[in-house]
Amino acid sequence: MSLQHFMDTYALKLLQAIFVHLGYVVLCVAIGSAIALVLAVLLTRIPRFSKLIMPFLSILQTIPGIVFIGILYLYTGMRPITVMIALSVYAIFPVLKNAYSGILHVDEKYKEAAKGCGMSSWQTLFYVELPLATPSIFTGIRMTVIYLVSWTVLAAMIGQGGLGEFIYRGVGTNDNRLILMGAVPAAVMAIGLGALLDKLQKKLTPRGIRLQEQSESGQSSGKGGI
Amino acid sequence: MIEYRNVTKSYGGSPVVKEICLTIEKGEFVVLVGPSGCGKTTTLKMLNRLIPMDGGDILINGKSVKEQNPEILRRNIGYVIQQIGLFPNMTVEQNITVVPRMMKWDKERRRKRARELMELVDMDYDTYANKYPSELSGGQQQRIGVLRALAVDPPVILMDEPFSALDPITRDSLQDEIKRLQKQLNKTVIFVTHDMNEAIKLADRIVFMYDGKILQAAPPEEMLRSPADGIIREFMGKHVQKIRMEDELNCSDIMRTRIATISPQRKTLECVELMSQYEVNSLVVVDDNKNYLGIVTIEDIRDHGEAGQPVEALIRTDAPCVGTGQHARDAFRILVEKKADYVVVVTPENRLAGIVTKSSISKAMASALWGEG
Ligand SMILES: Nc1ncnc2c1ncn2[C@@H]1O[C@H](COP(=O)(O)OP(=O)(O)OP(=O)(O)O)[C@@H](O)[C@H]1O
Ligand SMILES: [Mg+2]
Repeated sequence: MSLQHFMDTYALKLLQAIFVHLGYVVLCVAIGSAIALVLAVLLTRIPRFSKLIMPFLSILQTIPGIVFIGILYLYTGMRPITVMIALSVYAIFPVLKNAYSGILHVDEKYKEAAKGCGMSSWQTLFYVELPLATPSIFTGIRMTVIYLVSWTVLAAMIGQGGLGEFIYRGVGTNDNRLILMGAVPAAVMAIGLGALLDKLQKKLTPRGIRLQEQSESGQSSGKGGI
Repeated sequence: MIEYRNVTKSYGGSPVVKEICLTIEKGEFVVLVGPSGCGKTTTLKMLNRLIPMDGGDILINGKSVKEQNPEILRRNIGYVIQQIGLFPNMTVEQNITVVPRMMKWDKERRRKRARELMELVDMDYDTYANKYPSELSGGQQQRIGVLRALAVDPPVILMDEPFSALDPITRDSLQDEIKRLQKQLNKTVIFVTHDMNEAIKLADRIVFMYDGKILQAAPPEEMLRSPADGIIREFMGKHVQKIRMEDELNCSDIMRTRIATISPQRKTLECVELMSQYEVNSLVVVDDNKNYLGIVTIEDIRDHGEAGQPVEALIRTDAPCVGTGQHARDAFRILVEKKADYVVVVTPENRLAGIVTKSSISKAMASALWGEG
């Protein structure tokens, strides 16, 4: 098969795969991050929760993706929802961990000042803790995005499309070109989404925090994160 | 009016604030002083319920703080912390108007208030309102910290070592400013520091705490003049600097109290023996009730004394003498003018209190210059 022919055969399929892949990543990162943020907030408000939820989640985290999707598959079948549940669950942990430690490590002086100003616990959260934790939260989301781009490859395992299809088929037929056709867009996607997030972070991080980080650069910032 | 009634607080069974009673009048500037860990911060924070008390009660205008919703209570008590704690994600204006925002003031009213407040400390609204804390100097930040506490015009302001992180010059000018604001706005201020100079400068009344208790609560002059406890004296000795001698010191502040005395019945030989033991050439003569009688000198004993004779006959009553309450500078002048070795200090009841020597002067000068006792 000439390269020209090869491209003609697969171009449309590839485009479709990229969109499916991207769709899974974006959707699952969004769902996972939302759940993670809610959990992180609950964990910091009700410390009892963290004793329950953290171990549970870190166990989930250690189950290999293939096993997890395999088990889920037994219950939810060969449907996109299976992939989405699995990927969303995986998306939770990095965001949760970063958001949780980000909120937890907001300098005590700000929490004390907030309390002294008569803020309730929730007001402190929204006016002070969450804004100050944004850099940390973004670190988590960024990690999740990178992970998920590669984990979404697993979707193809149960026939749910994405760039994994090329990779699996390439491995199966020993065709390196197919493997590359899956892997290169995935890599580009990871880099592209990362860059996009950086832009978004610049937009969303309160200016005062960025200024503070600049003036503190060089010193360790004491922020959460991994 | 604020009233601490037998307020106690323990951590893990060990009491850190012990049955504190204190009444603070409206418009009073009270400074809590004492060594580290004596319970100042705890005492302060129990007032706005940042720390719950274990026993006793604190009343503000007759109403127990325990009966008030803690958030509403705190909005009505200004609070300035040591680390300043301006919210880095908010502009200067947003920081100043945080409490008004909690109290649901509309935007116009908040803006107007921010302007007013910034005028109070001579910070230009248009220049600074939209700056972020990290763009301000330390002194400017803490000014904003103070304004944040003043935002809804609370009658009471709590300040926990608000200036200790600032350089001395900035600190000095902020002290002046806070004192001026307090007078101008007629605020009740409770201010924590362990800097005695700061306390003296700011306080209407200094409350000296030690080990969870109040040792003395008195105006600065009174505490300087008659500290109620050796601990306070020692603490002040370590911390008071630059006392202007002419104004503040009197003889009892600088005199030596451990001095060689002798009773008039003692014989001349005993007297000589004592002098050589202490390496002095005169002794102060007091009777059994410590009443001052005069001095006896080695010259007089040598020239007029007889062995075995009581020293009574040799007492000189013309030795230079000052009262405890007299200004230290009087003693100094006598020492210089009469070229005397020392001046005797007596109480108003004519009891011996001590002596002022030339080395007392140098010590007092040293402590005035370098804060060393
Ligand atoms: N959360 C806590 N748990 C246990 N002990 C505490 C706690 N907070 C304060 N203490 C202890 O209570 C005592 C009084 O503390 P406090 O902070 O009131 O002292 P302070 O006079 O303000 O001291 P400093 O001048 O160092 O600020 C100290 O011995 C301190 O170790
Ligand atoms: Mg303290």
